[in-house]
Amino acid sequence: MLLKRAALLALLLALVFCAVELLPGDAANATSERGESAADIDRRRALLGLDRPVLERFWDWMSGLPTGDLGTSARGEPVTDLLSTAFPNTLLLGGIALLLTATLSLTLGCWAALRPGGRTDRAVSGTATAVLALPEFVVAVALVLVLSLWTGWLPAVTLTDVDGTPDSWTMLVLPALALTIPQTGWNVRIVRAALADEARAPHVETAVLDGLPPHRVLTHHVLPGALPTIAAGLATSTGMLLGGAVVVETIFNYPGIGSVLASAVTDRDSPVIAGVTALAGAVITVVLLLADLVRDLMAGGRR
Amino acid sequence: MTTTRGFPLRVLPALLLVTLALCGPWIAPHAIDTPVTAPYAEPGADAVLGGDQLGRDVLSRLLAGGRELVVSSLLVAVLVTAVAAVLSAVGALRPAVGRIVERAADVLMLLPAVLGILLVTLSWPGGGRLAVVAAAVALGVPYAVRLVAGAAAPVAATGYVEAAAAGGERLWHLVWREILPNLRATLLALFGLRFVAAVYLVATAGFLQVGPQPPAADWALMIRENSAGILLNPWAVVAPSAAIGLLALSVNLAAAALAPQTGRKAVPVL
Repeated sequence: MLLKRAALLALLLALVFCAVELLPGDAANATSERGESAADIDRRRALLGLDRPVLERFWDWMSGLPTGDLGTSARGEPVTDLLSTAFPNTLLLGGIALLLTATLSLTLGCWAALRPGGRTDRAVSGTATAVLALPEFVVAVALVLVLSLWTGWLPAVTLTDVDGTPDSWTMLVLPALALTIPQTGWNVRIVRAALADEARAPHVETAVLDGLPPHRVLTHHVLPGALPTIAAGLATSTGMLLGGAVVVETIFNYPGIGSVLASAVTDRDSPVIAGVTALAGAVITVVLLLADLVRDLMAGGRR
Repeated sequence: MTTTRGFPLRVLPALLLVTLALCGPWIAPHAIDTPVTAPYAEPGADAVLGGDQLGRDVLSRLLAGGRELVVSSLLVAVLVTAVAAVLSAVGALRPAVGRIVERAADVLMLLPAVLGILLVTLSWPGGGRLAVVAAAVALGVPYAVRLVAGAAAPVAATGYVEAAAAGGERLWHLVWREILPNLRATLLALFGLRFVAAVYLVATAGFLQVGPQPPAADWALMIRENSAGILLNPWAVVAPSAAIGLLALSVNLAAAALAPQTGRKAVPVL
């Protein structure tokens, strides 16, 4: 299981390198300034090592990854340095959002499942379906307007401390909410569907016929069986959260990988993007492994 | 099955919005690239929704800014559905192909779609709109194939497909004539869901400024450009946000109406 996940991650990284390599465009050209001669660009290309054979550079990049070396940006800085304060900030934001998503979608999903087909059920499922397709930046604009500009309750931008972390916890609330709302939409649907599937199992019927109260049937008989599906759903959300974080961070000026990527977009700095993708892939691999673990634990408990 | 109840009512808003976005550029009252009022001017007689950061008419840019988003998203949805349909039909008949597709989907699960789009558009500077569409298609196909493959497998195992295969029919004949016609409902639902996903991706690419470039009118780009003046003329940000939000909601509503309600299978597809 671990080996398979590691192999998939290695394959993704190879794919990312190939995408950067095979598509036209190169860091030496991208950072060229006006009036720079072709010889200057060639010199920088040599400096960045872009004139060496592809396979050699591929081996260098891949073998550097386990030691935490993500290569060099188009401006010649090590990518690891660029990301060392930004990535933990993004992980904090994404972690809070994942936690909120898990809590909210479990609560709402179970609440709806206790009254199947009722008004609550339809309201929760309907709202979930409505919000799941909203892009994070649209949710963020709405949140800023209502919670920040009109009511003045929360700050609309993030101020950064000297050590590169957000100044106050209140600055985490709006970005985390903007990430949580669309993802909760997805996960409520997954939780609700997984609970409905599990409720059809014979052992649940037995529990109901035994006269157990509905909430006890839910927590002791339905939920354990549905957990692996719910965990897999949340694990899939991690990728969406990390991608959404990039967008939300630019809106709130949050000091995470989003701001690093924003400048990388202006510089057309693909090594930075490849580095961020490598880290994101690693995080998602770990979360998927955890979801696998939940599945195995539940299967073990049932045996 | 609750899919047919109120079906026209659930599809109509999406059709109306898409039509409005497609025709918008023709009914815009002002040019989209010349100032008609002061920067961030409040709504007035000459500009119903006020001015943007250069004093251009927000209403005109709003009307003009949806077409590319809708056209690109439709293109992505059509391409993803078509490629996924053929790949899953071939995969159902040739298990080796099916396994490769399955592995590819496992790998791409590890790549957040937004990062994937950034990676492709930045490594391909001349690509522009085409690069965004290409990346969105490449990232969407594996998920789509998983959904269709589930529906294609039982069809491939039916007697008449096996009889046709035993009768010496070519692979393409089996795919086009025997399998795909039986997947119409699944493919229609898939198209709706991929359109929802494509609106999300194309809009996000626009917001990250890797799609349409500044003088162009584009809803996502308008939000990005005008957010500095949100206090002066909120409409310059609120109007395009509402447009994207409404488009996403109504298209999603329509997609949900198209999708067969088969419990869990219909859920994890984005």
